Amino acid sequence: MVELEVDSLVTGYNDKEILKNITFEVDKGDFLGIIGPNGSGKSTLIRALTKVMSPWNGSVKYDKKDIENMSRNEIAKNVSVVPQDTFINFPFTVRDVVLMGRSPYLGRFENPDKKDIKVAKEAMDVTNTLRFEDRSVRKLSGGELQRVVLARALTQRPELLLLDEATSQLDIGHKKEVMDTLKEKNDKENLGIISVHHNLNLAARYCNKILLLDEGEKHAYGKPEEVLTNSHLRAVYGVEAEVHEHPKDGSLYVSPVDKKIDTEKGEKTVHVVCGGGSTGKLLKNLVEKGYQVTAGVLNVMDSDLEKADFLDIEVVTEAPFSSITYDSHKKNVELIKKADIVIVTDFPVGEGNIRNLEAVKKGVTRETELILVDRENIGERDFTEENRGVKLYKEISREKDLKSVDSTVEIKRLL
Amino acid sequence: MKDNMRNSIRKKPKSFLFFLSFLLLIVIVYSATVGPVDIPFRRVLVIILSEAPLIGRWFPTFEGTDRTIVVNLRLPRILLGVIVGSSLAVSGTSMQGIFKNPLASPFILGVSAGGGMGAAVGIYIGRSYYLLPLFAFVAALGTVILVFALGRVRGKTDIATLLLAGLAMNFLMSGLTNYIRYLSPPEKEFHLRILAFMFGTLNGSIWREAIISLPIMLIGICLVFAYSKDLNLFQMGEESAMQLGVEVERTKMIQLFTSSLLAATMVAFTGVIGFVGLMMPHAARLVVGPEHKKLIPTSALFGGIFLVICDSIARTIGEIPVGIVTVLLGSPFFIYLLVRNRGETGW
Repeated sequence: MVELEVDSLVTGYNDKEILKNITFEVDKGDFLGIIGPNGSGKSTLIRALTKVMSPWNGSVKYDKKDIENMSRNEIAKNVSVVPQDTFINFPFTVRDVVLMGRSPYLGRFENPDKKDIKVAKEAMDVTNTLRFEDRSVRKLSGGELQRVVLARALTQRPELLLLDEATSQLDIGHKKEVMDTLKEKNDKENLGIISVHHNLNLAARYCNKILLLDEGEKHAYGKPEEVLTNSHLRAVYGVEAEVHEHPKDGSLYVSPVDKKIDTEKGEKTVHVVCGGGSTGKLLKNLVEKGYQVTAGVLNVMDSDLEKADFLDIEVVTEAPFSSITYDSHKKNVELIKKADIVIVTDFPVGEGNIRNLEAVKKGVTRETELILVDRENIGERDFTEENRGVKLYKEISREKDLKSVDSTVEIKRLL
Repeated sequence: MKDNMRNSIRKKPKSFLFFLSFLLLIVIVYSATVGPVDIPFRRVLVIILSEAPLIGRWFPTFEGTDRTIVVNLRLPRILLGVIVGSSLAVSGTSMQGIFKNPLASPFILGVSAGGGMGAAVGIYIGRSYYLLPLFAFVAALGTVILVFALGRVRGKTDIATLLLAGLAMNFLMSGLTNYIRYLSPPEKEFHLRILAFMFGTLNGSIWREAIISLPIMLIGICLVFAYSKDLNLFQMGEESAMQLGVEVERTKMIQLFTSSLLAATMVAFTGVIGFVGLMMPHAARLVVGPEHKKLIPTSALFGGIFLVICDSIARTIGEIPVGIVTVLLGSPFFIYLLVRNRGETGW
């Protein structure tokens, strides 16, 4: 059964046409990703799907019913939206805001009853916001507020959930948690989801259909493997990218093509073992000082990788949210062996990335200068079984004459 | 305010509203005792009760000047004070809700400047007490309608354009008022009347004014209150409000028109009493929180109580315009809030 039909939709702002002749369908239980460069009309499409903007031409239909003939309340009972960001000027509590999701079901003077409160609590529970339900929304961080707004959208009990880059403000852990929750609702409760993504890898990982927009036109539409191809990405984004298959679940992920380093220059090379945003400004400082910098192993979607990509640093990458494989481990050891200086930042160590420390142990030679950040507190960031992180740290420290600093900022002083 | 006290108020909003209503009654009776002539509280109470419909016959009728002062001079003035205070406070609450901005006031769309211009014209040509409110009302509402027309772009009311249009009309109307004042004869009486209008005064209120404004206040407050839920949703942003089922354009038009009508009516009778409409929603929000179903009745009662107290002070210290008292009392409170909340955005 067709849930949403968009037929030759044209719309825009004032006189400017933004969406040009868009046609696609979303069935019940679909997880559609909308991707495209800035200004390609992604957010406009979300607006058109909720009658915030009316079609100039063509139509938007839910279960064969034209959106123009539906009241806002009727739409709100079927479709809910998590916008890019929300700004609330007055100190409503988290519970107040989440309960607003029930308003399409309530009369003008009706108050939410026990059933409504139960729905809201459930939504807060799934989004991990229940523990601060009494707090004012003005005292939340961007990521917390975004999860509250998601809880509100779930409280609307929609058939279709629209997300406009809703996870862009979340850190990697919450990003995965939220997306997994949504995927579960998608699988089990048949909740239809349309989500706008800047991040191709999120779209690739979770969506069963992808719509690629380019300057308001439909460039490609179909299964992820049909849309996420090298040629489509080059045509729309103008970048060379490799599309890989995730070793574990077979989903796709995209990574920019490795940049080869120029070893002729004869400058010192630094390899940074990092992850989870632990580098701060380190990578940038090193590049600015003229070092040849490499890094690894980093998962795709790690914020350290985003920085490294931006700085054109060679990085050993791994599929998103998965443990370091033997191949990447081997590449990492190679880079460590080649490096004159190896820096190990204060990233949290878990089963997934313990191989990073093994690589350091294996790769450093007598000539390598080794710098460990915040060595004393490794115990606090070691989440492996049997404290293997702490043990590896000890072994690394024993073999080598090394430098130790309290934070990445201090490295500046050493180099 | 202590947090635990605030929490218990928020848990029992109905008892708190009941308490405020009771407080308002006390303030009304007390206010009738003060002025150039002091009348004992008990006597005032008996006079008021004997005048009340239905129960009045059980109380002895009190004859004499005290009765005349209370019934003919003070009561209409106090009642108009309650009506004006609560109307302005609710108007301000609605404006702050629609503009999603705690700095919006009932006069933001040019009601005060328009009303001032109308009053100046009324005083200039008519010099009649009856004509002035009518002139002020028509000019105030006319200004707002003009601001609406300017702020409407392609069938939608754009908040930013609306604010700028309000600002422009404020300047235009103030300019016209000043021009009329410049043309006017140099008699002191004439300028004092315009000045009294600009500061706002309850002096000289008559029963008829209270009786005309009462139904407008009741209808206005009920209309704003009926949209409490929509005003709450408005705070999520206009787009999100739409996606949560709010007919945003309709809500905006009804709210802006109702709150302007409330403000224009009150300005017509008393002139521009400042700060009540800006401050009372703040004070109410501090106590009961931002949820409009609680906020609107609390603002209304706060407004009524505050203005009657201010007017009692104005009457006692030599009959100055009450608008001067509200500003002098309101500004320090505003500064207190500012200092208290410095570094922390929002109220």
